Amino acid sequence: MGSSTGLPCREFVELVAAYLDGALSSADRERCERHWRTCAGCRTYVAQMQVVVGSLRQLRRDDVEENGGERDRLLTLFRTRGLHSRAPRHRSVPLGIGDAFAAPGDHIGYFWELDHEFDATVDFLATGLERDEVCVLPLRQDAANARVLAGLERRGFSLGDLQRRDRFHTISGRQPIDALLREFDDLVRTAVDQGVPMLRVLATLGWEHSDWAAQRDHLSLEARLTDTLRNLPCVLVCAYDVRGLSGRHVLGGLECHPWTLRHGALRQNEHYVPAEQFLERLAFDA
Amino acid sequence: MSERANESGAASAAAPDDLNVVEALRRGDEDAFGRLVDQYHAGLGRVARVYISNRAVADEVVQDAWLGVIQGIWAFEGRSSLKTWIFRILINHAKTRAARERRTVPFAGFDASEIDTPEAPGTPDSFRPADHPTEPGHWTHPPPDVGASPERGLLIREAREQLQKAIDALPPNQRLVLILRDVEGCSTEQVCNALGIQETNVRVMLHRARARVRATLEPYLEGA
Repeated sequence: MGSSTGLPCREFVELVAAYLDGALSSADRERCERHWRTCAGCRTYVAQMQVVVGSLRQLRRDDVEENGGERDRLLTLFRTRGLHSRAPRHRSVPLGIGDAFAAPGDHIGYFWELDHEFDATVDFLATGLERDEVCVLPLRQDAANARVLAGLERRGFSLGDLQRRDRFHTISGRQPIDALLREFDDLVRTAVDQGVPMLRVLATLGWEHSDWAAQRDHLSLEARLTDTLRNLPCVLVCAYDVRGLSGRHVLGGLECHPWTLRHGALRQNEHYVPAEQFLERLAFDA
Repeated sequence: MSERANESGAASAAAPDDLNVVEALRRGDEDAFGRLVDQYHAGLGRVARVYISNRAVADEVVQDAWLGVIQGIWAFEGRSSLKTWIFRILINHAKTRAARERRTVPFAGFDASEIDTPEAPGTPDSFRPADHPTEPGHWTHPPPDVGASPERGLLIREAREQLQKAIDALPPNQRLVLILRDVEGCSTEQVCNALGIQETNVRVMLHRARARVRATLEPYLEGA
């Protein structure tokens, strides 16, 4: 029986799963088949295994027929929460700033002037991290970013650990717009592919855009981001330091965001200008 | 055994059919979403309950996973199959929730400890020691041959209940692999991708899980 074929039954049974997967080398497959032909015990074992596997499959088929009420509820969820819907989006993502709730795809301009208002951006990220979202920080304005990072560490978040677990990412804000948009888009898709439910991004804008050329560049990025974000499970807050930025830059920023946040209140923005129109106007504004 | 079942399944990258479903979901096609629910809802619940014993909480996790599918579909680009992706979203939610709800079974994730530890004594299949004079490594008590037919499965109700009990009694990782591979019909590769573990580990888990279930069901198999 088993011992005479050179393959003990103990090893044979361990190879059965791989055999049925078609994953054995031809030598091992040959050994298995030879053993199977000569060992009645293992033949029975395999036959019973096939009954077991068949019964497990059957379990699923039996289940499929019994989820009527659930099905309707989920269809409603799809109808009302799907990003295809033209209806106003369900706002259930707590921003962590004021009592505001955001919706996936939101591009929010946060216009702040007091230190504690800036520090609220840390709450924005911390709220996401507590909800197991992925946070992204485009690095551009070093002092502001350092303050955000220190704020998170003070809350007890280990940034090194979060980065190792792909929960916190930084991307360079000092690269050409197309490259930055590509990197951002890729980061979102990779996270979604991994099963991440939501991402939140904090961009800090300060004095680093010294001339109008740099400001225009930044504003064209802002305008394009609104469309990029629209159908992504992602909330982007752009924090504008209104004390240091030029009036022209701040007003441009105002027109790029469908939502604004000021003194903790999130509002739909009537000054928002769709990207195409905004970019066209920007082109004339050289 | 010569009529070997072809179970290797499809490649893990999204099939063309997946892409059609994705397009339909982006358009807001409710029938397409309904079909997806019919296909996976029960399985998602089954997997969620491996992580979370409380039924109501497990149901919430499944609903959150569906919301993740609904809101993530525009960003899904088919690096893995749609099925793998849906289960991965569920598993993410379930792990997070399980960590939060302390009253659930401790589940450290796939740290391979279940693989490194040899099976405890008294586990299903027993074999003679490797230095046995006449039959090294051979069955101590071979499974009795009663001419079981694979097509029939275990249709009787009592056997089904025993089957469910046998699954519920498995260690968490074995249960996950068995549910995904055998109940939900994922390919080995899809199981690897959904759980983030290696193929050899999936096979070890699968072997152990099936062996335990077979041993529990032996009385019914004899009558099959």
